[in-house]
Amino acid sequence: MTEPCATSLDFDEVAASGLGSDLMTTTETAEERAQRFERDAMPYIDQLYGAAMRMTRNPTDAEDLVQETYLKAFGAFTSFTEGTNLKAWLFRILTNTYINIYRKKQRQPYQSATDDLTDGQLHEAESHTARGLRSAETEALDRLADSDVVEALAAIPEDFRLAVYLVDVEGFAYKEAAEIMGTPVGTVMSRLHRGRKLLRASLTDYAIERGFVTAASTKAEQDAQT
Amino acid sequence: MSCGNPHQTPCTEVLSLITVYVDGEIDEVHQIEVTAHLHECPPCGDQFAVELRVKERVREACRCEPVPERLRSRIVAEIHQVSISYRLD
Repeated sequence: MTEPCATSLDFDEVAASGLGSDLMTTTETAEERAQRFERDAMPYIDQLYGAAMRMTRNPTDAEDLVQETYLKAFGAFTSFTEGTNLKAWLFRILTNTYINIYRKKQRQPYQSATDDLTDGQLHEAESHTARGLRSAETEALDRLADSDVVEALAAIPEDFRLAVYLVDVEGFAYKEAAEIMGTPVGTVMSRLHRGRKLLRASLTDYAIERGFVTAASTKAEQDAQT
Repeated sequence: MSCGNPHQTPCTEVLSLITVYVDGEIDEVHQIEVTAHLHECPPCGDQFAVELRVKERVREACRCEPVPERLRSRIVAEIHQVSISYRLD
């Protein structure tokens, strides 16, 4: 039995689904497939909507993005290999749809993430003097409102944001996140590393702004470390 | 700032591995090295604690996005509509 590629999104395949090579799909009526799709794929709507909100940063676009994702996914459902990771498959369609449509539509200057950081540069960038909160101040992170954290996340470059979202919120393994974003695993690692670094600096600013920590204390710490 | 003690694995190396360590994606050999280092080096231990907390806060903060019910029903309706049009083709 030849299985079509699990990530194929070719709509022609849908039209030809009656000729599908998969036993499951040849014996399944369109209505049965719709029911199977509803049962298996719809439970992920909360997660897809959450990701769409983080991508588009507004509810109207997020709703449109989720709807388009589901329609594309249903159209390509015959090419999805049952038993493989449906959640990752749906997230991949969501990400592709976002990149292909919304990123162009928004006409925003693409917040490009430079991924070409070498290991040497990574090492160089690392030191205890890096700006940020210390564990004595993790309490400040606990006190920050969720809305502050969401805002801080929204402000980092989108490639970094997506990597952080997929791994931290959705719990995808690096390998899965790499497949969803269509990048090598090393790129996911680099984006995460740098995304969290930016996030941490931004959360520090929020904590200072809210008076949970004083700018003087973080400054004093930096001075002590240099 | 360093704790001043000599370490088998340098702080710079440990800090560059914090991301994979926090995500549980580190290989076994490095995991043992990093764990040992974090126990003996308070400044690196601090960095780890904050990195972990940032990860947790992001997860907590993003867990509260209610899906509009009309979106769910609209999608389900469209899917069934589409499947009917396939049958008629």
